[in-house]
Amino acid sequence: MKPGVYSALALALALACHYRRSVVPEIFEKSLRAFLIGYPKRCPPVSHSSIARAEGESVGESLEKMASGFLTHQQKVLRLYKKALRHLESWCIFRDKYRFYACMLRARFDENKDEKDMVKATMMLKSGEEEFWANQHPQPYIFPDSPGGTSYERYECFKVPDWCLDYWHPTEKAMYPDYFAKREQWKKLRDQSWDREVKQLQVETPVDGLKTEALPPARKEGDLPPLWWQYVTRPRERPM
Amino acid sequence: MASRVLVQCVRSFTQPSARVIFENITARASAVPVANQRHFSFNACSQRKALTSHTKVSSPLAQLCRQYGDLPPLTLDTIRERVLYVLKLYDKINPEKLTGASHFIKDLGLDSLDQVEIIMAMEDEFGFEIPDAEAEKLMTPQEIVQFIADKKDVYE
Repeated sequence: MKPGVYSALALALALACHYRRSVVPEIFEKSLRAFLIGYPKRCPPVSHSSIARAEGESVGESLEKMASGFLTHQQKVLRLYKKALRHLESWCIFRDKYRFYACMLRARFDENKDEKDMVKATMMLKSGEEEFWANQHPQPYIFPDSPGGTSYERYECFKVPDWCLDYWHPTEKAMYPDYFAKREQWKKLRDQSWDREVKQLQVETPVDGLKTEALPPARKEGDLPPLWWQYVTRPRERPM
Repeated sequence: MASRVLVQCVRSFTQPSARVIFENITARASAVPVANQRHFSFNACSQRKALTSHTKVSSPLAQLCRQYGDLPPLTLDTIRERVLYVLKLYDKINPEKLTGASHFIKDLGLDSLDQVEIIMAMEDEFGFEIPDAEAEKLMTPQEIVQFIADKKDVYE
């Protein structure tokens, strides 16, 4: 194969693979299914829904209880525990030493976990946060993809939105006829459900203003969640 | 796993260079034939020719495509295997009772602090952070697998 042909093919393949659903159209359907199955989990944080959830309540509704954005005491304690363990891991780099001090920390959390007096518990949480602040690591280990990490938003500039596909030249589109045919069907579906999504959002937005940026799940049978298109056609985490 | 990928990359990288070395050696051997070593060099030549013919098949591609090191691609099955493996390593969980849908707090009798530790173990295993807001909702291994597949675009 001549080098020019190969590189042109590679470029075409790279362009095609850049978009999430280039190889097999079924993947696009699976993404919608995965989206619809996992959608309630996109809602804002909630205190232990497993304990607080009433019988016969949908997951989305129970998860929307904490739409105010305030954390419960339990959530604050758990976040402090996680932060403390991560900074402890940065201090004690050898695993056996870390394990030992992590167990000691866990024992300290466990001995006070049955405190019923909320005032005392809040004071303990406050002193715990202060102790964490005093003992934190100056350069804790941050995962590469987390905010502050080395690879955070590194590939943001390569993430192309899906509407660019509509600007492809017809000869380019002709290279993937079945994919673009399927895409037209999805766009029809989007146009059909758009008015209902907007109406649902208008109905559900509180009069005072939004408390959270999270989107509500679909309420009616056979309805799609609001602004589903943005989520389903989001670019890959690692654009090719 | 990463070391295996890197070794493969190195092996395929050295193949074209090996081909170049063999070509040089064969050129030199043909340029300077020695009587008492002819038998040996002929054998060596034929061996090297066989080797070069073997490598010539892959060399155009090896020359043109650049190789990068990366983790092996994730699939739903491998994610599930790894999640269950990490959970079985945790000593507060009974491995016989562990299934894909077993709830940490209701079925396995763990604490919310244990759930935090499990999520941290998952973060260490897969190498990316799970934010607190979403971590406190992951209560079964199946949910964890779904979340990781969602984040990493595995079968989307």
